[in-house]
Amino acid sequence: MVDTKSKIEEEIQAIFSTDKPWVTIVWDDPVNLMSYVTYVLMELFGYSKERANELMLKVHNEGKAVVSTGSREEMEHDVARLHEFGLWATVRHGDQVS
Amino acid sequence: MSEESGFSRHGDNTFIAEFSEAEREVLINLAGQIIELLSERADHADEDPLAAMVGITTHDSPPDDEVLLRLLPNAYADGVDAAEFRRYTESVLRNKKKSHAMAMRVLLKSASDGAIELDHENAQAWLGAINDIRLALGVRLKVEERSHDELELLAPDDPLRGVYAVYTWLGWLQGSLLKALMDDSANEVN
Repeated sequence: MVDTKSKIEEEIQAIFSTDKPWVTIVWDDPVNLMSYVTYVLMELFGYSKERANELMLKVHNEGKAVVSTGSREEMEHDVARLHEFGLWATVRHGDQVS
Repeated sequence: MSEESGFSRHGDNTFIAEFSEAEREVLINLAGQIIELLSERADHADEDPLAAMVGITTHDSPPDDEVLLRLLPNAYADGVDAAEFRRYTESVLRNKKKSHAMAMRVLLKSASDGAIELDHENAQAWLGAINDIRLALGVRLKVEERSHDELELLAPDDPLRGVYAVYTWLGWLQGSLLKALMDDSANEVN
């Protein structure tokens, strides 16, 4: 019972917590075509062409971009799919993002 | 490639291209090399059959080979987290990449006239496979360090000159498939 109660409290705290705990980052890569990066972001995340293009340009111009946020498990799933399509991606704890 | 045409979309979900015999052979060969490279990294079946069955690999350190490292990159900057993630996911990633290259190779091998027809699923596999080949060639060409001009001006007798020609051709081919696919998704939205 005690465990269940503390778990519920933990869940509630997570719901009201404003900081997203984990992020998926895509890094710039000189090989991947810009249109390819845009397409993969559209296909994997269901982003609109505009949104995916915006993120691709951020990767291209700034060297990296956060492409998704959520739980650690969700981010690991996203990174695995990005690796499947050859994008250079890593998982990071959200508070480490500059 | 028949006169700079590349892939084009036919109907809702079909993408077609025609390859010359030389182009077809190059693609079959490169896809085969990717499959071989990934297979070399595969686990030895006798190491831990139970772990292998559930997809856990015995590899938890990144590949020494630069090309393999680019195809199977670390998912975390932290070494311990990266090793843990790799142990549980690398064999699945290897198999997915192999299946992309195999899908491309099988279709090319069966198309003796060079005429290729892809559905949406095969188009995705081809995109992934072409990209893996480009990543592999990119590592060998050191595109991270060399400028575009430097690569364009490789000496005629430099063996990398031919590699660079294939690399740029694959970029163009992938671009044509992307263009055909993106036209498709634009239509779905409207």
